[in-house]
Amino acid sequence: MKFKTIYTLLAISAISFLFAINKMPNTIEYLALNDKETKLTESEKAFGKMMDVLTHQRCMNCHPNDDIPKQGDNRHPHYFGMARGTDDMGFEATNCNTCHQSKNNGYSGVPGAPHWSLAPASMGWEGLSRAEIAARLLDKSTNGDRSHEELVEHMTEDELVLWAWNPGVDADGKRRELPPVSEEDFKKAVEYWFENGAVIPAK
Amino acid sequence: MEISFIVNGTSKTVDLADENTPLLWVIRDILDLKGTKFGCGKAACGACTLHVDGEAVRSCSYAVKFAQGKKIATIEGLGNRDNPHPVQQAWVDEVVPQCGYCQPGFIMATAALLNKVPNPTDEDIDKNIINVCRCGTYYRMRKAIHKAAELQAATKMNTSEKV
Amino acid sequence: MKDEKQQNPKGVSRRKFLIRGGLGTVGVLAIGTYIFRNNIRRELLGMVNTLELPYTDNTDKPMVWFEVTSDNNILLYSPKVEMGQGTFTGLAQMAADELSISMDQIQVVHAATSTGNLDSFATGGSTSVSSLWLPLRELAAMLRQMLLTEAASKMKLDSTQLSIADGVISGNGKSLTYAQTVEGVDTWEVPDKPILKSLKDYKYIGKPIARVDLKEKVFGDPIFGMDAQMPDMLYGAVVRPTKIGATFVSADTTAAETMPGVVKIISENDFVGVVARSMIEAENAKEAIEVTWKSPTEINTAAIVEMMTVGNGKSTVIQKNGTALEDEEGVSSMEFRSPIGAHAQIEPNGVVASVEQDSATIKISTQVIGLTRKEVAERLGFDEERVNVIPTYLGGGFGRRLHTPHAVQAAVMSKAVGKPVKYFFTRKEEFQHDMFRPPTHHVLKGKLNGDGLLEGLEHHFVSGDVANDSAVVPALLPPILGADIGAIRGGFIQYTKVPNYRSVYWHVDLPFATSWWRSLGLLANTFAIESFIDEMAIKAGKNAVDFRLQQIGDEAIGIRLKNVIKAAAQSANYTEKITNGRAMGLAASIDAGTPCAQVVEVSVVNNEIIVHKVTVALDPGLAVNPDQIKAQCEGCVIMGISAVLYEQMFVENGELTPTIYGPYQMALMKNAPKQIDVVLLQGKDTPGAVGEPPLGPIGAAIGNAVRRLTGNRITELPLKIPKIV
Repeated sequence: MKFKTIYTLLAISAISFLFAINKMPNTIEYLALNDKETKLTESEKAFGKMMDVLTHQRCMNCHPNDDIPKQGDNRHPHYFGMARGTDDMGFEATNCNTCHQSKNNGYSGVPGAPHWSLAPASMGWEGLSRAEIAARLLDKSTNGDRSHEELVEHMTEDELVLWAWNPGVDADGKRRELPPVSEEDFKKAVEYWFENGAVIPAK
Repeated sequence: MEISFIVNGTSKTVDLADENTPLLWVIRDILDLKGTKFGCGKAACGACTLHVDGEAVRSCSYAVKFAQGKKIATIEGLGNRDNPHPVQQAWVDEVVPQCGYCQPGFIMATAALLNKVPNPTDEDIDKNIINVCRCGTYYRMRKAIHKAAELQAATKMNTSEKV
Repeated sequence: MKDEKQQNPKGVSRRKFLIRGGLGTVGVLAIGTYIFRNNIRRELLGMVNTLELPYTDNTDKPMVWFEVTSDNNILLYSPKVEMGQGTFTGLAQMAADELSISMDQIQVVHAATSTGNLDSFATGGSTSVSSLWLPLRELAAMLRQMLLTEAASKMKLDSTQLSIADGVISGNGKSLTYAQTVEGVDTWEVPDKPILKSLKDYKYIGKPIARVDLKEKVFGDPIFGMDAQMPDMLYGAVVRPTKIGATFVSADTTAAETMPGVVKIISENDFVGVVARSMIEAENAKEAIEVTWKSPTEINTAAIVEMMTVGNGKSTVIQKNGTALEDEEGVSSMEFRSPIGAHAQIEPNGVVASVEQDSATIKISTQVIGLTRKEVAERLGFDEERVNVIPTYLGGGFGRRLHTPHAVQAAVMSKAVGKPVKYFFTRKEEFQHDMFRPPTHHVLKGKLNGDGLLEGLEHHFVSGDVANDSAVVPALLPPILGADIGAIRGGFIQYTKVPNYRSVYWHVDLPFATSWWRSLGLLANTFAIESFIDEMAIKAGKNAVDFRLQQIGDEAIGIRLKNVIKAAAQSANYTEKITNGRAMGLAASIDAGTPCAQVVEVSVVNNEIIVHKVTVALDPGLAVNPDQIKAQCEGCVIMGISAVLYEQMFVENGELTPTIYGPYQMALMKNAPKQIDVVLLQGKDTPGAVGEPPLGPIGAAIGNAVRRLTGNRITELPLKIPKIV
């Protein structure tokens, strides 16, 4: 309990230090915390696993901070100038669904899942630190007005989120890289972290 | 697997072993409508653009199973020589095509754009019309798109006056 | 009139004009041959001098040019293919005018090899309209005279009493249509020589007539090779290696044989193919074939760049005046590079082949109808006459369809299954097995005299093959000329008042195929030379227009070049001041006898070069169709912007990459200038080349504008603003 309070305070102070949205695309490397694993609490471990997934390109490519979706393992800007548009779905006549359907397309290599679209601009996580991402995730003003329960449901049941573990093949027929944590472990980590108060670790 | 849909106003049923066959090949090789073109097969060039329930779709990347019960329009159904769609008329007026291969895709994408944005600005055109033309007919296409918007507006006005 | 003489040393003679009477219900009227028997060497010299290719048919047999149909229309069988360049429209205008018919009454179709009317060379080199300018009008005029004579005889009138309008011959209250005139005739009186109308009597030549293929292309008619089909047709696919230089060793086809829809796996010495009931099934089975390839050492882009360096390979001096520049004080030198370029035409290469007992039919998008036939006949062991090649409209040519080995593969597959087989490239295969625009390297040297004019100017450049080793070019040609006639296009010094100049071509063999890419060497050569000229003008403290005009010679082509430079500068209000963040750049070139100058207006926003406006001044000689010439200029400008700002192929781990649009970045709608002004000049009284010359100046013009805007001289294509570190 004591620890939890301290961490919460630290998290609040971290949030208070949040500065304007970082516009730096593609350049932040996320460091794994494995070397310190033995000293970590279960909640911190769960947070780490969850973030290993959220910061992976399968997730991050559609959480841009510059309104431009990213593609591929090298997170390049989406070709042909495709961008967020007014509804996170691209432009009026040429939009996400012009090419992306509700399932991956094995012939074209175009990925697909239900309601394929960019995450709302308020969930632009690209370039943010793990703590910053988590803060945005928990903040109702930036998470689509979701409660913790709704967040858990979204993260463990939404087909677009779970697409990360069924990303299909690319245009060259090669299988896309999966997030470093299995779907099952991710779901467990998300549930554990939220069940234990959704505490954002200080480091 | 049997899949039924409406193409250019006519009901069609196809029977396919692979329900994921791209709609493009069903349209071209089974229904013999050759106006919708194959360019890349990767949804990158737009030559295969057609309309599904009024929305522009790149048919090389659209599994035929998704077409079940939907309305599909191809270049052949958009208009014809006696009754051209405003976009086709504008394309004729501005003498847009060169080799012509990419043109049906552009015409379908433009028709979809004018449905959503009846009077597009240059910026609207730049964002929405992202097909590839190798002959470089973009310059005349832009003129034709603006012209098509005018023609469409005039047509609508005439129609509403008659009513 | 020198130009006409070169194109037509003998003209049409009665002896060569054969007639065959009515076939079936439709009157096939004129069948003639139009053969130039220039001795080959003179033809080659002509090509070196002007780089204008003459029209040459390749058969002694009669060929169908025109057919009068029963509804009083005329079919023109074109020996040239329509790939977007507007040739059919130009030919229709020429024929309609000489035949005294309306544009609605003429229909242009591709001649198939069975009708014999094919060009021995190819469709390319920007010469389709110009090379047929005289022969086609003469043939049409001859047909008109024959119809007039026949009608006069049928109406029992003297031909001087008759007039012709819209295909109807009338006089003295009587009239006959062309269709009525040809009915039942099997012996024709042939005039001694054709009498051409005078230019002022032409109704269509010189007018902006709408393209004859416009509606087919706007309403989605099935006109392309990709749309061709034959009864009972199956679909083929051919396994191709991804590595450069990989050769076939063996294939395990076990898995593929039992795949759905598979009809047959075909293993030949040089390829493995699949025939299936649908294209998707053929492609799926192809993926299941395990091929063992033998690959040479893997190369990469850096190795290619190192190979392509002036001084490597074999050199040929292609132009020389005065003495060579020594490496002395006062000599400026700059290096330029251009990358590997892909054709990236939107219609992939494809073909439908049907092989029967002793004959074959091939429907194909090809620029080399004759060569396609020859190669298929050779592989099948048939006489060429037993192979009918039916060309279709091309979904872009750009030089990509000057060799068609896939026609041979389709024929082999068709023979194996006893049914027609359709087969075409995937986009990845198009990108990896393109015959690319070769990468180049250029060294420019120049020395200014005390008056700020060039005392010496040299262009040393290296390129991979363009015309050399091409199946289209007669094998004897490169040895005679010593240089690759494609790679050197645009590589000459056009500033002939400079007392000492030379151009030296170096040839290096590349490990992958390179060949004809619209305008050939012109794009890269003009980029290098005209960028350097601009730099020398800046060094001399002179205006870029004046600096050029002062050093171009007063020979006929030089005067025409100066005129297009003046016209472009005047129309664009060329200035070297920067206004509203925009700068102008100018460049000029001569290609295939057609001079072109361009002025561009650019700005740089977020490190991106934006081309706002391009002014093109072109002197194509007599403009048969000014609107289509403008369309070619607009198209060349945009294709040129695409090539010089964005396009680039790489070699990674022995593979050519990228293999799809997007990663292979090309100009899109948003990258096309919002304004393209075209000024046409007429510096000679016959039509000249149009389809490629406007590709010359664009790279240098943009580079020159960026230099004046930013102070940076970019020396490599694609042009990228250096990142500020």
